[in-house]
Amino acid sequence: MNALIACLGCDLLVDVGDLRDGDTARCPRCGHFLTRLRHDAVSRVAAYALAGMVFLALAGSFPFLSFATAGMESVMTLPQTAVELYAEGMVFISLVVAAFIMVIPAVVLVLLILLCLPLLLGYPAWWLVTAGRWVFTLHNWAMVEVFIIGVIVSLVKIASMATVSLGISFWAYVAFSLSFTMALATLDRYQIWQLIEELEPEHAA
Amino acid sequence: MSDLAPTAAGRHLAACHVCCKLAPADAHDCPRCGAPLHLRKPHSLQRTLALLLTASILYIPANVYPIMITDQLGASPEESTILGGVILLVELGSAPIAAVIFIASVMVPLGKLIALYYLVWSVGRGHVTRQRQRTAMYRVTELIGKWSMVDVFVVAILVSLVHLSGLLVIRPGIAAVSFAGVVIVTMLAAESFDPRLIWDRLERANG
Repeated sequence: MNALIACLGCDLLVDVGDLRDGDTARCPRCGHFLTRLRHDAVSRVAAYALAGMVFLALAGSFPFLSFATAGMESVMTLPQTAVELYAEGMVFISLVVAAFIMVIPAVVLVLLILLCLPLLLGYPAWWLVTAGRWVFTLHNWAMVEVFIIGVIVSLVKIASMATVSLGISFWAYVAFSLSFTMALATLDRYQIWQLIEELEPEHAA
Repeated sequence: MSDLAPTAAGRHLAACHVCCKLAPADAHDCPRCGAPLHLRKPHSLQRTLALLLTASILYIPANVYPIMITDQLGASPEESTILGGVILLVELGSAPIAAVIFIASVMVPLGKLIALYYLVWSVGRGHVTRQRQRTAMYRVTELIGKWSMVDVFVVAILVSLVHLSGLLVIRPGIAAVSFAGVVIVTMLAAESFDPRLIWDRLERANG
């Protein structure tokens, strides 16, 4: 019973009990990804998430881009993208931008660490289920890699007007984006919940 | 598709959309993670359609009004729309970047709207063909949704970067708000649609 999984794409019941390490299961009817078994997935997610947090902190603390023309220079930092929109009276997009590129990714990283460390240590923390629920609710709303494309497009748009240079924070954000994407790609919904259930037997049905 | 495939619903089991747990279909909450449990997403077609209509209405101001305004010393304020921005990039000679913006800001949102309208219509009409292709179509719609935010991020970056008062200032236009709305509402529409509905008719047709 425990090895049955219902495909979220078409509801087909599939037995994933005989997966070996490294195997990926796909739905035989609609082709939807089901799960991937990886013995070291939790430690990998924790490592990527920790690296991501360091890079995000760096990305928020130094100049992101600078812009110089006719002897004048202006420097932009990551939090300013939201702050300047707010100052222009665009409260809605200011909040949306802050949420999608900084706040939600940061919250997801913290939740991933809160999820992975107890699983690695075998400690049945009371917050495991809550952290798990929020990770899988929020992860679709992080737009880290989209923002990097936005930076590249912006550079091309204003390259003819002035000299634009990339700051240290830009590179930190690229590294953050890679860590973040790898953490989410390694996190497997089905497997992680099986581990939570093993650690918290009172939740098992 | 002659043999009846075993589905969770066929065995009166509901799969939790947060943790994948299979639970008896009459439970209100998932026994493992506590998320609300439904056999299918509730009122999926109605919700998706309502959000699609909202996004379609927001799409009009998003394209008519300027998304960005450039104030340059000695020149009148220059307003640019989404399409105007694409044309400007082509004139600047950066065709690849123009293509990125055209795909992300024009083709992706329109494609998503059309794909979701078609999926809602085909499920509503009870079509029992091309399930696999329609499920794949839904999956692509779900994956590409957030890429349309590129243009909103470009506005946010340029507004905060180009800030030389008196000389050169870039200000956000009202279309940025509508366009962010289009992206968010279509993402919510994709989340409300339940791809399992594409397959449900098949079981009923065979059963």
